[in-house]
Amino acid sequence: MNDTSSILIVEDEVQIREAVATALECEGFATHQAATVRHAAVLAAEKRPDLVVLDLGLPDGDGVDFIRDYRAWSATPILILSARSEESSKVDALDAGADDYLTKPFGVAELLARTRALLRRHAGSQLPQEPLLRFGDFTIDCVDRTVLRGDTPLRLTQIEYRLLVSLAAKPGRVLTHRHLLAQVWGNQAVENHQYLRVYVGHLRQKIEDNPAQPRHILTEIGVGYRFEP
Amino acid sequence: MEAAELVRTTREKPILGYLWAFFGTTLGSLLLSPFRAEIDLSNIALLYVLAVVVTAVSFGRGAAVAMALYSAFCFAYVFVPPHFSLAITEVQYLLAALIMLLVALIVGHLTSRIKAQADESQRRSQSSRALYLLARELAGVQTPAEVQGAARAFLEQSLQARLVHLFKPDEFKDVVSPANPALIYQCLERRRLLTRPTSDGCFYAVLPLVAASGVQGVLGVEVKAATLGSQDAVEHLETVASVIAVALERSTYVAIAQETEVKHAAEALRSSILSALSHDLRTPLTALVGMADTVVLGKVGPEKQQRMLEAIRAQAMSISRQMTNLLDMARLNAGKLPLNTAWQPIEEVLGATLQQVRLQWKTRSLNLQLADGLPPVNIDAVLIERVLWNLLENAIKYAPEDEAIEIGVKQADGQLEIAICDRGPGIPPELVGRIFETFQRGRLESEITGVGLGLSIARTIVEAHGGKLDYLPRHGGGSCFKVSLAIGQPPVFETLEA
Repeated sequence: MNDTSSILIVEDEVQIREAVATALECEGFATHQAATVRHAAVLAAEKRPDLVVLDLGLPDGDGVDFIRDYRAWSATPILILSARSEESSKVDALDAGADDYLTKPFGVAELLARTRALLRRHAGSQLPQEPLLRFGDFTIDCVDRTVLRGDTPLRLTQIEYRLLVSLAAKPGRVLTHRHLLAQVWGNQAVENHQYLRVYVGHLRQKIEDNPAQPRHILTEIGVGYRFEP
Repeated sequence: MEAAELVRTTREKPILGYLWAFFGTTLGSLLLSPFRAEIDLSNIALLYVLAVVVTAVSFGRGAAVAMALYSAFCFAYVFVPPHFSLAITEVQYLLAALIMLLVALIVGHLTSRIKAQADESQRRSQSSRALYLLARELAGVQTPAEVQGAARAFLEQSLQARLVHLFKPDEFKDVVSPANPALIYQCLERRRLLTRPTSDGCFYAVLPLVAASGVQGVLGVEVKAATLGSQDAVEHLETVASVIAVALERSTYVAIAQETEVKHAAEALRSSILSALSHDLRTPLTALVGMADTVVLGKVGPEKQQRMLEAIRAQAMSISRQMTNLLDMARLNAGKLPLNTAWQPIEEVLGATLQQVRLQWKTRSLNLQLADGLPPVNIDAVLIERVLWNLLENAIKYAPEDEAIEIGVKQADGQLEIAICDRGPGIPPELVGRIFETFQRGRLESEITGVGLGLSIARTIVEAHGGKLDYLPRHGGGSCFKVSLAIGQPPVFETLEA
């Protein structure tokens, strides 16, 4: 990430678009603005932004369709802006490949934090990957398939291990139920949210100090989970 | 129905009357015959007339007439000389026998008529008393179901009726045996009682229930054949039907009146929404505009300006939360509340909610007490989060800054209980019953903003889950709100690994 990262803002409400643009520009980002799906697609191809901030309710089409088309050729992170009445389309957007979301009304601090996190992670993913994942005092060795807490090995079942790796590999990102189920159990299990809840419960018992108020595996109600390192 | 029984006794036993007429007269004649020399012939004739009167009173006209004729025969045969012969030697004896016959016939006839009239009037008074009792019973009932109950109790008790049912017009098409749609439609068309025999000598009768405003339904009832035996009995049943019809009509009007009342309540709600909106949203908006204008003027110091901007932000966020509640309420009221339930641990929802609350109110302390081994519950997590959020927001708004909010979760009597307790002012006892109503606030015109929707939304959501939301005053001051959710039987979870 450098400070001249460019961000495409797709939002039809002028006031919100201006507010978001102002906040991002104050932080040194370059912004491009679009009010329609059509214009957004053109700008995305032309300017190759480092991040897309996308409102879901656009006048000429569905934000989810834009995400599908965009993901066909770009891995650029997408941050969704959603109103509360768009709960289900928010999940659809995340399933379609969006990386994170903010619910309106959101604060500038939150917007900037999410923006930086997405840009940093995306930049990181371009680097050569390391087979070690670290969070808190945990270390996951993806080659040996072992998890250490400090120096003590942690006993995890196959499923628990796969779930932990799926979560820890995407720190800070919202992972939908569907996404995690497909990752851990395979595509045939994407409706069995029950499995996921039970194993998240097991995993919290093993890695969280206070499983009822977790620090690492956070619940996004109605959406999925977010892993905080 | 003692009177009805009596009438039936008299009518049902004519043979007994005739037997009595025959054997009584024969026996009396034989017993008296030894004394025929001592007793004057005219006195004997009077004794016969007396016996006819007694028979008329006890057995009615037929037996009396038979007895009069037979008495005349016995009189002539036994007492008129020559004895034990029908030969009448003197004209005056013939005259005496004929006069006795005539007198016996007339007296017997008159007596039996008076007796029948007395019986009839007693029966009528009994039946009108029964009707009066039914009418008084029906006067007190409110709903069609209660009318049905009262009518059934009355008919079962007074007529030993069975299968009493009031068919409403919308049930006509689907009635089942012993009634059938054809019978009912025919009954309505002819506007009279129709019957059809059922097993064991009973009849199934249907009567139209017609009141001033039209057909209210049809009364179906199974009675013994004897109950419908006379015109009077049929009329009685028809009168009962018309009393029931009037009661049904009235109960319908009661329902309409209640509906009107509900509409009035909805009107009142709408106006309270308007006043709540104008007060609770316009006041903070006015403050917002004022603060923004002050900042625009640029005459306040940078530190003060910073504080004002923060206040503007807090105010805007608070308005946003109220808007969220209003939208939720609109969705709940529109009945668009498909529950998207799944079995999940309550800790997960609670944990996520607390995380949000801590972000919003960073300085408040929240104490969570979780019992061990809590079972999963079948809930819509998004909606239950709204419940918890609303209850926590309430507690935070009303409780003093430095007092922790206590959140306790435990299992009791097959219920999962989530209690959210604060050390706020509590709810005044006279308002406890109303705090869950839309647009009700514990304290009106207080400096704490909010339109009084939070608790109402919370209760609506909890009740949609088949649970309960209760208010309990907290020991030592403050409020507790308790959410109770039924613990069902979670589906057996197949582990996918050994």
